[in-house]
Amino acid sequence: MAWKRSDDLPGHPAEPAPAAPRPTPSPSASSTSAPEPPRRSGDRATIGPSIFIKGDLTGDEDLVIEGRVEGRVDLKQNNVTIGHNGKVKADVFGRVVTIEGEVDGNVFAQEQAVLRQAGAIRGNISAPRVVLEDGSRFKGTIDMEPKERHGTGTGHQAPGPQAAQTAQASAPSRIGAADAGSAGESPVGASRPAQAG
Amino acid sequence: MSWFSRREPASRGVATQTAESGPEVFRSLALPAVLTTLSRGHKLNVLDLGPAIGSNVERLSEFGCKLFIEDLFASKAAVPTGEGRLSADFFAQFLAPPEGTLFDIVLAWDLFNYLDHRELVHLADRLRRFCRPGSLIFALISIHKTIPAQPIRFRFHGEDTDQLIYEKRTQVERPGPRFASGELNDILRGFQVDRSFLLRHGIQEYLYVRDGA
Repeated sequence: MAWKRSDDLPGHPAEPAPAAPRPTPSPSASSTSAPEPPRRSGDRATIGPSIFIKGDLTGDEDLVIEGRVEGRVDLKQNNVTIGHNGKVKADVFGRVVTIEGEVDGNVFAQEQAVLRQAGAIRGNISAPRVVLEDGSRFKGTIDMEPKERHGTGTGHQAPGPQAAQTAQASAPSRIGAADAGSAGESPVGASRPAQAG
Repeated sequence: MSWFSRREPASRGVATQTAESGPEVFRSLALPAVLTTLSRGHKLNVLDLGPAIGSNVERLSEFGCKLFIEDLFASKAAVPTGEGRLSADFFAQFLAPPEGTLFDIVLAWDLFNYLDHRELVHLADRLRRFCRPGSLIFALISIHKTIPAQPIRFRFHGEDTDQLIYEKRTQVERPGPRFASGELNDILRGFQVDRSFLLRHGIQEYLYVRDGA
């Protein structure tokens, strides 16, 4: 039961630190853009398939794990990829965390967590945006912050005792509206008044 | 790490069958109420008793909820055959959220079709325990005599929508339990039917509300 782990969840990881000015190794002469954040494209470490690490992993570059890791992977400012061969039994912290292998632990992504088709997570995901590809395997909880607030566009009233009473009175019109606006669906039933439990 | 079995080759065949039969898009009539509840602005706990489906996670992510995914059918299938129906102990282990967690919304999809009476009673016991007054259960019950051997997969059709894609994952059929509404209401005592619709393809949508709100 993966939910037991969430007792230990420290909540959302801290917001990414503002991009601190940092000299790049070989800045482009024509570049006028703001200094890059700590993440450096092209700097990517790989833990090979035959490597087994037990302990904490920290650093300042993107990481691809194709081997086995037990402990903790803490690269909050960088991208972490658990490759197809990767098997991680650890909490994983990263900016964008992509799982193509197996993770038994919690995933905390500053920006996005991506569970690829071949990937599997048993644990909890905490990220502003979560992508699960079809065929991926997930067991646990997903703690998401809203991308943006906007209406459902349905105009329907929320249920509840008060709503149920309203539903009794307005069921025909609600069904009619749904019928008129349905996308290929024809309701043949009716809203049922709330019944005593 | 053997807690997930790799996908079996057969699943590719299922996908082909799905492609052959073609997914059907329909507008849910009960789901909008769930979405309205989700859009109220505070973070809700949502229990999804179906498989993890990307488009559903994507849709629900718009509301910033906390999503608990527990695929009961898959868990049931993982129980060794010969053990008969799932026991109360199984459900006690299966549905054991962190202490203090109460679910605001339960997405049962068409799971109830795949539980026998006793199993559904056990599940209802757990839902009563972990749902607060006003919590919702969204369920789809087939009225057909036979149902697909695996639960139909329902997925949101795009963003900002109450349309669902209805995907049969297999053409193999099995007898349908077809819980009568009175039987369901008895099993799910403590919840009231807020609204119910019979859809064209022979599936009845139910939206239950936990008593006491």
